[in-house]
Amino acid sequence: MRKFLFIPLLFIFLTPLFFGCTSQQPYEVVGYVNLKDLQPIQAPKQEVLPLRVAVASIVSPKGTVQSYEPLLDYLESQLHRPVELVQRRTYLETNELIATGQVDLAFVCTSAYVVGQDSFGMELLAVPQVNGETIYYSLLIVPSESSARSMADLQNKVFAFTDPISLSGRMYPTYLVQQLGLSPEDFFVQTFFTYNHDEAIRAVADKLADGAAVDSLVYEFAIARDPNLAKKVRVIHRSPPFAIPPVVVSPKLDKDLKRELQKILFSMGDTAEGRKALESIGVEKFTTIDDHAYDAIRTLLSDVEKTR
Amino acid sequence: MWKKLDKLVHNRLILDRFWEIAGAVSIRTKILGLALGLVLLVGIGNTLQTRMVLTRNMEAQLRDQSVSVARDLAARAVDPILLNDLLALQDLLLETKGNNTNFRYAFIVDQRGQVMAHTFGEGFPVGLLDLNHNGNLDHHHTVLIDTDEGLIFDTAVSILDGKAGTARIGLSNVSVQQAVSQVTLQSVLFTVLVLLFGVVVAMFLTRILAQPILELVEATRMVSRGDYTHRVHPWANDELGTLAQAFNQMSQDLAQIHELRQEREGLQRQLLEKVISTQEEERRRIARELHDSTSQSLTSLLVGLRMLETNCKDPDQQQISDLRSVATQTLDEVHKLATQLRPHALDDLGLSAALERLTFEWQARHKVLIDLAITLKDSRLPEGVETALYRIIQETLTNVVRHAHAHSVSILVERRDGSVITVIEDDGKGFEVCNSQGEYHLGLLGMRERAELLGGHLTIESNPGHGTSVFVEIPLFTEDNLDGQKETHLTGG
Repeated sequence: MRKFLFIPLLFIFLTPLFFGCTSQQPYEVVGYVNLKDLQPIQAPKQEVLPLRVAVASIVSPKGTVQSYEPLLDYLESQLHRPVELVQRRTYLETNELIATGQVDLAFVCTSAYVVGQDSFGMELLAVPQVNGETIYYSLLIVPSESSARSMADLQNKVFAFTDPISLSGRMYPTYLVQQLGLSPEDFFVQTFFTYNHDEAIRAVADKLADGAAVDSLVYEFAIARDPNLAKKVRVIHRSPPFAIPPVVVSPKLDKDLKRELQKILFSMGDTAEGRKALESIGVEKFTTIDDHAYDAIRTLLSDVEKTR
Repeated sequence: MWKKLDKLVHNRLILDRFWEIAGAVSIRTKILGLALGLVLLVGIGNTLQTRMVLTRNMEAQLRDQSVSVARDLAARAVDPILLNDLLALQDLLLETKGNNTNFRYAFIVDQRGQVMAHTFGEGFPVGLLDLNHNGNLDHHHTVLIDTDEGLIFDTAVSILDGKAGTARIGLSNVSVQQAVSQVTLQSVLFTVLVLLFGVVVAMFLTRILAQPILELVEATRMVSRGDYTHRVHPWANDELGTLAQAFNQMSQDLAQIHELRQEREGLQRQLLEKVISTQEEERRRIARELHDSTSQSLTSLLVGLRMLETNCKDPDQQQISDLRSVATQTLDEVHKLATQLRPHALDDLGLSAALERLTFEWQARHKVLIDLAITLKDSRLPEGVETALYRIIQETLTNVVRHAHAHSVSILVERRDGSVITVIEDDGKGFEVCNSQGEYHLGLLGMRERAELLGGHLTIESNPGHGTSVFVEIPLFTEDNLDGQKETHLTGG
């Protein structure tokens, strides 16, 4: 009988072993790759040339994608051809793409248009209408706790510019400082570029900067999106009205396509998709204005240049 | 049903075979096997378990790490991708590489499925791109990819909900394997150490368990050899200790019994000696009485009858002559009786003469041819020995006549260094030695006892139809025989 005693013993000691062996590998191997077998990446085949649309970095790249996606989709559906969004950090980079025809359609900043029109004949296509008007302002903002009441109070403070050639974000505040008889380099203790207006508002709200000048349209849009922001920043100065940032095309764009694009933009309010796309970028409709509307800006820019 | 039964029988056979082998090995091997077996089982089980748990946990960690790194990369890649800043994207990938252990590769795929930036340098591995997609725009999608460098956890995370493409991260499983191998090695080493320790412990256990048993075995052998003095040392107050105590008690009891038996045997022997010597003495006395007194009286009677014969007249003369003839015959018979009881020759002339006389008379009386060869180097043997040998030969001859119906008997008495050897052989019908019974058996027993009383021994070899040999060897000048001599001298004096 005793010889059978070892069987239960065997079970006791083998049980953990079996438990150990029965559990399975939790992750499944999907395939094999030789990491040393490297081959050059094939360039993508573009069957249909997309319409390349640039949006100047007025807001952050991510914000731009979110806001302009319905508009791009709308264009795609109207043109029956793919539409590609192109973004660059600075206005000048975007202008460069427009000049060389690497971008067909562009939403640019006012001063970028003025500069581009002057240097390579950037063509005005349409302008957005917001609040029934085709104007916007440069707003001088400070943190809500700041005691500053005008640009003069920001002397020896930290100031955030948006883009080097932005009218509302760089040129107008420079103009204001020049009116005080100083250059921004001497007036402010430190300046930095945020490259878009969203970031400039954030820099002031987070008190990284003691002041910044931003596009009134972007500011209002940002406040509407995040009401908390209104508690953190305060507007201490509003510029005279400027002609709104326009929609432009490359001088190399086909004239028929230019007319078709114009037609599409002007008729956007006619369809639900179009209205939805307009709403997404905070625009009522697209319309036309005369290039002379930008003359005041040309004067301001040349004044600023001269004083420099 | 039958198959099941067959299997059962088969298993039973295997078990039997196992026990045949396992049961036959020593306790030392059993304990050693048990200890080492247990350690091995636990060690292997523990190693496998540790390996498994560690692998699982570390892989889960690696997987989590790949997800977090990929998500971080995806979040930080948004702006460089949207701004087409390939340099910043490449820097981001390199930074990700620098900041993460287990990093194997990272790359960014744009929304069209085109690789924008990667960390492979010249070219891109064939087939890697298609192995993982986060098509459903989930939080992340992780797969395990087998490569020439081992397993890799590949996580895909969509950038800006897929609008800016996908970030892919590959973290190598090699460090996990190395860690697991290291732990396994340590575990195995530990098991080996425990095994060595187990050997020492098992040796110690064996010593504790097997040593008392071996001692008991040795003690048992000593007892069976007749040494009752050996005592087993009880090692511990356990079953083996109890066994040792019981064994010691048994040895003690056996010793007492043995002593008692020896004492009794000694008494019996003394009694036997006494009986035999008394018998011899009585025979000698009767023989002397017959010789000295009865024979003298009969001789006087004969002398008187002869004188009466010469002096008497004719009619009575015949009657007297008859009486004298009766008296002469009676005297002869008395002589013969006396000689049979205790031959004079044995006392006066020694064994040789007594045996010669005995054989002569036996030949004459029973018509049996006796060949007697005595080599005693002309010296008397101790009286006890002479008497014993004489009586043994006498008894043997009686048996030869009564049972063997032999035609010839050969008797050899020879003195050899320190002992006297006697061989009596006949050509009679023989018998089964072990089957001898009754009076005959008692006779043989008496012969043997006579020999053994003198420290000698008697052997009978016989087979039906092949005659009988009686072999007697009695040592000379031992204590027994000298005692016998002394006793004889005393009685003789």
